[in-house]
Amino acid sequence: MRLEDFQFHAPGKLAEATHLLSVLEGTARVVAGGTDLLADMKQGRLGAAHVVSIAGIPELRGIEDRENVLRIGPLETPNRIAASDAVLRRIRGLADAAGVMAGYQVRNLATIGGNLASAVPSGDLPPALLVAGAVVELTAHDGIRTVSLADFFLGPRKTGLGPDEILTAVIVPHLPAGSGVAYEKFQLRDASALAVVGVAARLTIADGVIATARLAVGAAAPTPVLIPEVAELLEGKPPGAEVFAAAARIASEEVKPISDLRGSAAYRRDLVRVLAGRALTRAEGRCRNEEVPSC
Amino acid sequence: MLNEITVTINGDEHHLGVRQNETLQDVLRLRLGLTGTKKGCEVGVCGSCTVLLDGEPVNSCLVLAASLTGKEVTTIEGLAEGGRLHPLQASFLHHGAVQCGYCTPGMLLSAKALIDRNPDPTEEEILSAFGGNLCRCTGYVKIVEAVQGYREFLDPEECPPCPPPDEESPYPVVGRSVIRKDAPDRVTGRAVYTGDLSLPGMLYGKILTSTIAHAKITKLDVSRAEAFPGVKAVITAKDVSNVIYGVSPARYDEMIFATDKVRYIGDEIAAVAAIDEATAQAALELIEVEYEELPAVFNVADATAEGAPVLHEKYPTNINVVVDQNFGDVEAGFAEADAVVSRSFTGNRTYQAPIEPHASLARWEADGRLTLWSSTQTPHYMHYMMARVLEVPMAQIRIIKPAVGGGFGGKAETTPLDFCSSYLAKVTGRPVMMKYARNEMFMHNRGRHRQEIELKIGVRKDGSITAVKQTVHLDGGAYTSFGIITTYYAGSMVPTLYKLPNYKYQGYRVYTNLPACGAFRGHGCPHPRFAFETLLSEAAEAIGMDDFDIRQKNAMTPNTSTVNELSILSCEFPATLAQARQASGWDKKKGHLPKGRGIGVGCGGFVSGAGYPIYRSRFPHSNAVIRVLEDGHAATLHIAAAEIGQGSDTVLTQIAAEEMGVPYETILMADCDSDISPIDLGSYSSRVTLMGGNAVKMAASRVKDQLFEIAGRRLGVPPTGLMAMEGRIFVAERPEVGMDWAEAARIAFSEAGPLVGTGFYEPPRLGGSYKGAAVGTSPAYSFGTIVMEVAVDLETGKVKVLDCTDFHDSGQIVNPTTAHGQVHGAIVMSIGETLMEEVLFTEDGQVRNPNLHEYLIPTAMDTPRISSGFVDSYEPRGPFGAKELGEGATLPIMGALGNAIYDATGVRITELPITPEKILRGLKEQA
Ligand SMILES: Cc1cc2nc3c(=O)[nH]c(=O)nc-3n(C[C@@H](O)[C@@H](O)[C@H](O)COP(=O)(O)OP(=O)(O)OC[C@H]3O[C@@H](n4cnc5c(N)ncnc54)[C@H](O)[C@@H]3O)c2cc1C
Ligand code: FES
Ligand code: FES
Repeated sequence: MRLEDFQFHAPGKLAEATHLLSVLEGTARVVAGGTDLLADMKQGRLGAAHVVSIAGIPELRGIEDRENVLRIGPLETPNRIAASDAVLRRIRGLADAAGVMAGYQVRNLATIGGNLASAVPSGDLPPALLVAGAVVELTAHDGIRTVSLADFFLGPRKTGLGPDEILTAVIVPHLPAGSGVAYEKFQLRDASALAVVGVAARLTIADGVIATARLAVGAAAPTPVLIPEVAELLEGKPPGAEVFAAAARIASEEVKPISDLRGSAAYRRDLVRVLAGRALTRAEGRCRNEEVPSC
Repeated sequence: MLNEITVTINGDEHHLGVRQNETLQDVLRLRLGLTGTKKGCEVGVCGSCTVLLDGEPVNSCLVLAASLTGKEVTTIEGLAEGGRLHPLQASFLHHGAVQCGYCTPGMLLSAKALIDRNPDPTEEEILSAFGGNLCRCTGYVKIVEAVQGYREFLDPEECPPCPPPDEESPYPVVGRSVIRKDAPDRVTGRAVYTGDLSLPGMLYGKILTSTIAHAKITKLDVSRAEAFPGVKAVITAKDVSNVIYGVSPARYDEMIFATDKVRYIGDEIAAVAAIDEATAQAALELIEVEYEELPAVFNVADATAEGAPVLHEKYPTNINVVVDQNFGDVEAGFAEADAVVSRSFTGNRTYQAPIEPHASLARWEADGRLTLWSSTQTPHYMHYMMARVLEVPMAQIRIIKPAVGGGFGGKAETTPLDFCSSYLAKVTGRPVMMKYARNEMFMHNRGRHRQEIELKIGVRKDGSITAVKQTVHLDGGAYTSFGIITTYYAGSMVPTLYKLPNYKYQGYRVYTNLPACGAFRGHGCPHPRFAFETLLSEAAEAIGMDDFDIRQKNAMTPNTSTVNELSILSCEFPATLAQARQASGWDKKKGHLPKGRGIGVGCGGFVSGAGYPIYRSRFPHSNAVIRVLEDGHAATLHIAAAEIGQGSDTVLTQIAAEEMGVPYETILMADCDSDISPIDLGSYSSRVTLMGGNAVKMAASRVKDQLFEIAGRRLGVPPTGLMAMEGRIFVAERPEVGMDWAEAARIAFSEAGPLVGTGFYEPPRLGGSYKGAAVGTSPAYSFGTIVMEVAVDLETGKVKVLDCTDFHDSGQIVNPTTAHGQVHGAIVMSIGETLMEEVLFTEDGQVRNPNLHEYLIPTAMDTPRISSGFVDSYEPRGPFGAKELGEGATLPIMGALGNAIYDATGVRITELPITPEKILRGLKEQA
């Protein structure tokens, strides 16, 4: 195992980093926690002439509960996210997901920005962010843009991130009162394993009726995906086991899983159905501030 | 270009110039010599490299050193302060949380961070903190207990690390949970494994292996690699011995490098030595190989089909081992049966996956001798094989076995690393270090054979077994390795547990273009035992009998010769059944659990050392020397038995202390070094406690005899009336009359020079006279029963193992804590093999999951509650009545787990591993 030689840069300011990226013109890779990048480079899956570490840039840290949004710095780690009061209050399902990622040490190194930028279909953090309608802020030396997370993922390990851009924030709009988000992961062992399937559900219930429903699935399509049909089916109906089961069935039909080491496509569809039902049930409990134990 | 960094490591500030692509792990290990930080995977999965970075645990293999300025790093070497163990370290010693020790530094640092943020963690929180620290030895049980109990060690003055309170034992030393000899070094990061060694001028070697499963090599050009800066030597077949080697002499079929053709992806072609690992690796890519691809076969059916491509000319059918054994008359037996059940089973190809990767370091000394340090579990066979292949006398080679981080059979043979490091060291005149990266371990493999089993059992209405017929096809991979023995074991151990009046076994081992399989814990037996325990429960169901009743009915009894002429002396199998049944609450639970919950029983046992060596030799199997130090207050035990984590050094020193009548602490263990210690055949076939123990006991008794002579003279009594205990020699009938043991030893030394005792062990002649009768023979057999309870998620098929109740007959237990640790480790490893582990291949024979991220082994979070117990037993052929445990403990598990899953779901999965997906498919078919 060998890490190819590269030039290492550790700018202390965001502006320096974006400037560097523009100067290096696509020959550089950003590194945050390094848990994906170093493992990939060591296994010869990718190389880079320059590595720009953003780990020392203070403005990329922090979880801020602002007036209308929760703003999460890209360097925030799964361990910090899982323990953050603001995250638990605003988007509990993201804390679920952060807490079941990898093992404890990796959860200290890994970052949310890296998890999104890696765009691995089985990534644990995207589904909960998708159902909450998160957007990502992308910064280049010459400007800032925001992209909805749903549009950010383009394919397996492919995103809309330009070579000179840095993901500088994950912005989660506050959900209305009566909302709940939950994440369910199926893994082949109980720690340090990638999701065979991961499902996040978000419900907003007003006057006994589902006002908003979102369901997103990881590891069952080329990218983490929202299943719009679930919204169509559930919105306007009162929550309940039957509609959830119908929604779960639709989700399992809409996904496009592949067969791999972790499971066949058919098994993944089964898992999507089961996990979708569970995630919806837990999300509903959370709308009422009740915790339904995860299976 | 170097980056300047200033970093605090274990409290000391270091100014270092580091390369841009250097990891924290390499800085610690290579620059600072802090090799307590281990290297098990290099990609963040195993956790053996865990250090604290600003107080938080991280994988040092994923941290770039260049980014460390201003940070604080704590490694295992920094945990003990002022020479005082950290309370966690003391607790790890006390609880026996250390086996091979390779995971231990990482575990301790994860635990340290946990108690720093939460001094009173719950069990759940502890398990979760260890989710990223893999251990292959302990089953995590004692590690969790050690964290739960650390507070008892907060004040080192008041409570120094001590063994747990005395267990019941008829002996002062044997039967006590003394602290392992090697554990203090392992909790402090001092233990040195082969890959941690460093010698002046050391080079690093790497091996180029085939990328095609079956091909003729048409061109091999190493010139560009030779010219690459930093490369010191490149060797190919023409530079090395062409002696054919292997494991069993009847099937030597390997060469250091492929000459004519390659037979699997991973077959060795050339090797490079260079100034560092990265350069050697880069140089491999410059070696040009051209292949003429040949058709290849990847499973038994294809390999045995008409016209299949042939791997080895000598075996034109690709079947390289055939066993055909027939005892009694099976057809008559089946005719007598009231019910005959039969089924096919598939045993999965699994990999030992020790957390320490294989390593080998060679140096040719000025006097022309070779010194080889290697992570081996069989130093003697390595010694023999190195001498054979290098064509030099054994005396010209010195084999040193440093600490070994787990083997489980995967380090039981001489590897290409050992040959290549030796040749490269010879050519370059410099020491050469070679290591397998994790994926190379999987490619070299030597894991468990995939077995296709046809099994048929006949029973009468009263449950008695009338006949058993078993046919097994083993997928062996490209070379034979241990395969002859595996093929025999797959059949010969079936009749040891239950009395079988008629038994027929046919075994076929088949060459395929995959990495070779070898010996893996329980060698050949776990899959047939899985099949047998499953089918026996089906037979019970067919005649309406309880699972336990049918087992009791047929259970082996002491002093029995089995149908295949294996001689069993001690046997408390019925007691293990009775106690497991009772302790698990079987009768209350079986048949009364809700759907989705299940309970199952399985049994198993193993040999206590093979009755015959692997190659014919006249050496006794185990040999020991004890030398008493001049002042009589300590003695060194010399025996080249291989401690690989199982605790054998501790058990052997306990036996020495017991027999000599001195405290355990006074026995020192000499290094496992062929120049220093006499041969022992090593750690395989669960042989060390019984065989090594007998040799040590003899050596100790010979020391004692000499002292009794002296003491008898001094005390004016005949030596035969004397006893020795706890450092005193006294008259058995008048214990107040006696003298100091050390005093007697000093007198012995002053009168006649060094006080030395030697001992050896050679098993009695065992076994029948039929072909293959030797395999399965052993001086003694272990027996065990386990009850497992599971919860199965009926919607996903996921199995959660909840509870295990295990009882073993392992004779007199020498060290209860290490013995329980063996059981825990065996259970968790076998749960992994049963539920999740399998080495998978692509259509062209490439390992699909050659890493610990995709080849999943259980984590702390996957560990059930385990209760382990030992029944009273005494083996007359064992030292102080002891016999084996380490391998036997794995055998009951697969069957018990399969039976529990069946009980929970009504689904019988006969193809291992029993994955959630297979269970769900079964549930759907049922609906
Ligand atoms: C043993 C192990 C187990 C794992 N298990 C899981 C799991 O269970 N679930 C899961 O989801 N993931 C898992 N992962 C992967 C997870 O650790 C990563 O996805 C992590 O979140 C990536 O973050 P990072 O900071 O380490 O990314 P890096 O490795 O630093 O970077 C990853 C990629 O993202 C880019 N990048 C990073 N940050 C930015 C940014 N701010 N702007 C632009 N580009 C950026 C990099 O250029 C690179 O291409 C596991 C990894 C390991 C090693
Ligand atoms: S060596 Fe770093 S996690 Fe395995
Ligand atoms: S003691 Fe944990 S890997 Fe050996």
